[in-house]
Amino acid sequence: MKSLDPRVNRLPTLSREITTKVPLDQLGTYEVFVQAKENKPFQHEGIVHASDIELAFVLAKETFTRRFTCVSIFVTDTRDVYVSALTEGTVNAYDTLPPYTPNANNILENYLIFHLLKRGKQHVLAGKVTASTPQEAMLKGKENLQDGKPVFNVWAIRESAIRHTQPEEMVLWKTLPDKKYRDASDYKAGDKLTRFLAQRKNEIL
Amino acid sequence: MYGGGNTFEAIRTDSLAQEDPEKLAAFEAKIERGEKIEPTDWMPALYRKQLIRMIEQHAHSEIIGALPEGTWITRAPGFKRKLSLMAKVQDEVGHAQLLYSAAETLGKTREQMIDDLLSGKSKYSNIFNYPAFTWADSCFISWLVDAGAIVNQLANAKGSYGPYCRALERICAEESFHLKYGHHCVIFLATGTDKQRQMFQEAINRWWAPMMHFFGPSDKISAHTEILMKWKVKMGTNDDMRNQFLDMYVPKIWELGFTLPDPNLKKNPTTNKWEYTEPDWEEFKRVINGEGPCNKERIEVRRIAEERGRWVREALKAPQAAYVTPLA
Repeated sequence: MKSLDPRVNRLPTLSREITTKVPLDQLGTYEVFVQAKENKPFQHEGIVHASDIELAFVLAKETFTRRFTCVSIFVTDTRDVYVSALTEGTVNAYDTLPPYTPNANNILENYLIFHLLKRGKQHVLAGKVTASTPQEAMLKGKENLQDGKPVFNVWAIRESAIRHTQPEEMVLWKTLPDKKYRDASDYKAGDKLTRFLAQRKNEIL
Repeated sequence: MYGGGNTFEAIRTDSLAQEDPEKLAAFEAKIERGEKIEPTDWMPALYRKQLIRMIEQHAHSEIIGALPEGTWITRAPGFKRKLSLMAKVQDEVGHAQLLYSAAETLGKTREQMIDDLLSGKSKYSNIFNYPAFTWADSCFISWLVDAGAIVNQLANAKGSYGPYCRALERICAEESFHLKYGHHCVIFLATGTDKQRQMFQEAINRWWAPMMHFFGPSDKISAHTEILMKWKVKMGTNDDMRNQFLDMYVPKIWELGFTLPDPNLKKNPTTNKWEYTEPDWEEFKRVINGEGPCNKERIEVRRIAEERGRWVREALKAPQAAYVTPLA
């Protein structure tokens, strides 16, 4: 392979032909939630693929918080997100929950409840409840976290399945304001252009 | 931001006859009302297939598009330009991650998409099959190829599929510095020495034909995509997008004293549309089918990356992690 790029010319030749990847040669799926500012709720932003939740946290930071303001993120395995039906129109997703009888012997845990308040937008953290199962957590969300608006989808995540940002990790986002070269405002060339255009005009005249 | 005019094969709508007419009507009414479709909503198989195809092409374009620009990181003029270009290329690869995730919500796994890229089954934007000979080529890509992509993607961000629109909103917001950076680089060349001006003029001459191809075949010859427009998968025709780009950027290029290699390029004051020499669509087809100057190199670089990364993926593999379809 002869390339204009010296780095490409230095690449080794393949010892074997790659036809397809090994089946399911890919990592796990983790959901990413971002808090843009203090006092703003966490909201769902997307996913990363990772081998474990620690790597998912690092990749989430790289993928979702390079540019925008951010104070904290958390990640969780997609399989740990319990999801209600997705509704539309005036149907509240909470009204579609199946009946559930709590078992008094189950251990109580904290769950984070997320609401989808507008279709097409992201799921936003509505609050925390204590319950023994995700189904019970959703029912408690129905009782305690609604504010009158229809909720189109509910997610419940057991807090112990979440990798939160630790206080000492908050510094991860402290460098953002220093990297001015990533801001459009750092590329001002208006004066240079104006001088050039004026000069061209004079030359033409 | 590299997503260009997507290639659509002729759309066969006969599969719609197998769809439940009531569900199809409700689906279309929802789109007509401006509501978004989410992954667990009912959707026709054709809508799913075409969306996967479009989002996947866009994602591939982001990682392949990083190659001709990435070439210039080590040779960018000065520390600041290196930092900027590195950040931009990092963004583009990050955009691929967002787009692959959006496509995955429709049921195609990321590894299937990478397989299809490596085997040549899936396409990417044709423009990245051309070489970036000089720094000025890199500046052309940063300013004008990105500008073309922004025209397309701002339109697509108003489309009907929720996860794709959300990814595009994030991508477009991250783009604000790319366009300014590209324009800044070009102003420096334009206001520099005669040699610098000549370098950029030569870059324009090389890239103008691929840039005109970028928005896809002319509406006169392109596959019928009415159903995709109706379903808001595609938000404008190829010619509309091309015209919008010409409207926004030809005056800026002329203002800098450069010429464009098309004697017929002019805006018709009556129709308010740009007229130009019909691009060579036979060349477009040849390049998209693998005969461009860099097709083989682009795919080979990805294949080597795939092979060289194998041990990392094997080392990372953990039995407790499992691939599942993303939620939203």
